[in-house]
Amino acid sequence: MTTSPPVESLATAGIQPFTAEPIRYVGEDGLPVQPLPAAYTPERLRELHAVMLRAREFDRKLITLLRQGRTTFYAQSSGMEATQVGLAHSVRPGHDWVWPYYRDHTLALALGVPMFELISQCLGSNSDPSRGRQMPHHFAARKQNFVSISSSIANQVPPATGTAMAQKYLGTDEITVCTFGDGATSEGDWHAGMNMAGAMAAPCLFVCENNQWAISTNLRGQTASENIHIKAKAYGMPGFYVDGNDIVAVMEVCTHAAGWVRAGNGPALVECLTYRVGSHSNADADAEKNYRTREEVQEWLGRDPVVRVEKLLEHLGHPIESEERAAMIAAVHREVDEQVIRAEATGQPDWRIMFEDVYSDMPAHLREEAAMMRAEQEGGSR
Amino acid sequence: MIATQERQDMPAAEPRTINLITAVTEALHEEMERDSRVVLFGQDVGARGGVFMATAGLQATFGKDRVFDTPLSEASIVGAAVGMAVRGLRPVAEIQFADYMGPGFDQIISQAAKMRYRSGGQYTAPLVIRTPSGGGVKGGHHHSQSPESYYTHTPGLKVVMPSTPYDAKGLLKAAIRGEDPVIFFEPKRLYRASKGEVPGHDYIVRIGEAVIRREGTDLSLIGYGGVMPDLERAADALAAEGVSVEVIDLRSLVPWDKELVVASVQKTGRAVLVSEAPRISNFMGEVAYSIQAAAFDSLLAPVGQVAGFDTPYPYVQDKVYLPGPNRITAACVQALNY
Repeated sequence: MTTSPPVESLATAGIQPFTAEPIRYVGEDGLPVQPLPAAYTPERLRELHAVMLRAREFDRKLITLLRQGRTTFYAQSSGMEATQVGLAHSVRPGHDWVWPYYRDHTLALALGVPMFELISQCLGSNSDPSRGRQMPHHFAARKQNFVSISSSIANQVPPATGTAMAQKYLGTDEITVCTFGDGATSEGDWHAGMNMAGAMAAPCLFVCENNQWAISTNLRGQTASENIHIKAKAYGMPGFYVDGNDIVAVMEVCTHAAGWVRAGNGPALVECLTYRVGSHSNADADAEKNYRTREEVQEWLGRDPVVRVEKLLEHLGHPIESEERAAMIAAVHREVDEQVIRAEATGQPDWRIMFEDVYSDMPAHLREEAAMMRAEQEGGSR
Repeated sequence: MIATQERQDMPAAEPRTINLITAVTEALHEEMERDSRVVLFGQDVGARGGVFMATAGLQATFGKDRVFDTPLSEASIVGAAVGMAVRGLRPVAEIQFADYMGPGFDQIISQAAKMRYRSGGQYTAPLVIRTPSGGGVKGGHHHSQSPESYYTHTPGLKVVMPSTPYDAKGLLKAAIRGEDPVIFFEPKRLYRASKGEVPGHDYIVRIGEAVIRREGTDLSLIGYGGVMPDLERAADALAAEGVSVEVIDLRSLVPWDKELVVASVQKTGRAVLVSEAPRISNFMGEVAYSIQAAAFDSLLAPVGQVAGFDTPYPYVQDKVYLPGPNRITAACVQALNY
């Protein structure tokens, strides 16, 4: 294993690590603050907007399902669409590997994980590829190399480093992408994984989706550090700071950082400064009453990443008309409704799956317990 | 009675007598030779060869890409092993002492143990964590504990502890070739004290099968790991008094060989269980439960248990703390006189 070259040797291409302010291309008013790269044509921006809006409306519909009692847990990502959709564009789905965290369904959708699979997992239906074993919103998608999500905070970070080390050992051109929230950076596993990745020059792109609240603890309560990305310096990797509500900036910075990793320079960290508009989960539905102010939420709603693209498109002379937007939303709602009906129709896994996949083969003690369960079920008692 | 699955596809050679740590080294060497996916890492395992020299010479043979030192971080070592296994390698991670596994505990129980189950089999984590455990080397409580019960309590993990060179080599090979995460405890006080014959050809010992070390008719004396030589000594002492003791080495704790143990107790009518871990929540509690549930009608006496004390492992009283032959013999006599 070799160590990473000094961060100072990073090819800048106009994107610098360790900036005092988040890198931004489009301001809150939708006007570019620096020239947009040529790739961001109105058509391209419209495509990105459609993916973001789809995720936003998925959120809205899943909250409805939660209120209807058809699922029991959901972690919204409203407000974080630019971060996750922007990041997705630096990942080659099914080629690179992703160790996500539990608020990453927008990333999953953007990487091509079928909505049907996500909904099936949230409902714990027979069509759930994870076989109803995890709480809702903790999915895994093999085709996209989207590794199973754990509830424990930051414990995907050392394994992500390991996957990247394996990629290096195997000599592939894959990279690993590891996401986490700001709260995760307080965990020992985060520091352990980051340190190992730096020391081993593992091709891993770490992405902090800094939505500023870890349930009820805000960033200032989380760390005395000025921000998250500067911590990368301690681990010998470049740290990039980006406006996580600016889809263009996230795409540019993540693509640049992924390119650095892909070129064999070792790991990199990107901090996307964004905001979790909704609650942490259904466990704290009254977030605004308990731990944060309405003013703060309103301020961040003014920075809405979806609206920002709409303003940009308007500025570029290609506005999304209100009827068109309404039709897009209606289409997503229909799509969710259809997939829910389809997933529910598959039923729920029965008790047998409880004993499977614990080991590669079922050992005697589990066969014994399964037999006991069978007798109980067939006897009709509990 | 040694249950094995021997492979004959390597050139036959004469059996040799080696010690337990050499058996570990040989197993690693042969598996790395057999499968380029096997990589070895941990703290000091490279040029130095590990604190106990279990990996001595392997970096020189297989290079720094396959045998390497890591930062001093059990969470990183275990976590990296999970990520490598998920990506398709066969990582063998060394933790210097089982006492140090604490920082890697969450990686073991939340990631390694759950990966297959929670992903519906989409992902698996076939890794091996090797670690020296147990007392008897004047190490104090951070170098002498027997934490196996923490891991036997976690579904998804296989937990193994050999006591002979034959088993160490065969079980470690089985662990590396298997599809499940394995916690491989090595009783450090037997590293050089336990000597025995290993075949000259490739073989494995299947995980989950116990072995009868000596047959007997009056009492079943059951243990694993570092206490096994003391079980033999106690059996010798009792044999001198005309008592026929059946000595069983569990070798694997999860899965464990209930069938063999129950059959033995049905034959002898008495069981004494020995381990050096503290008694409360000791894995042998599971064995005792299973014996009384499956062989209650055969029992002539309550199941006896000899364990470490429920104190942190003491430095000065190292030898007193461990269940030696005297305490084991006394427990057997109590069962015989019940």
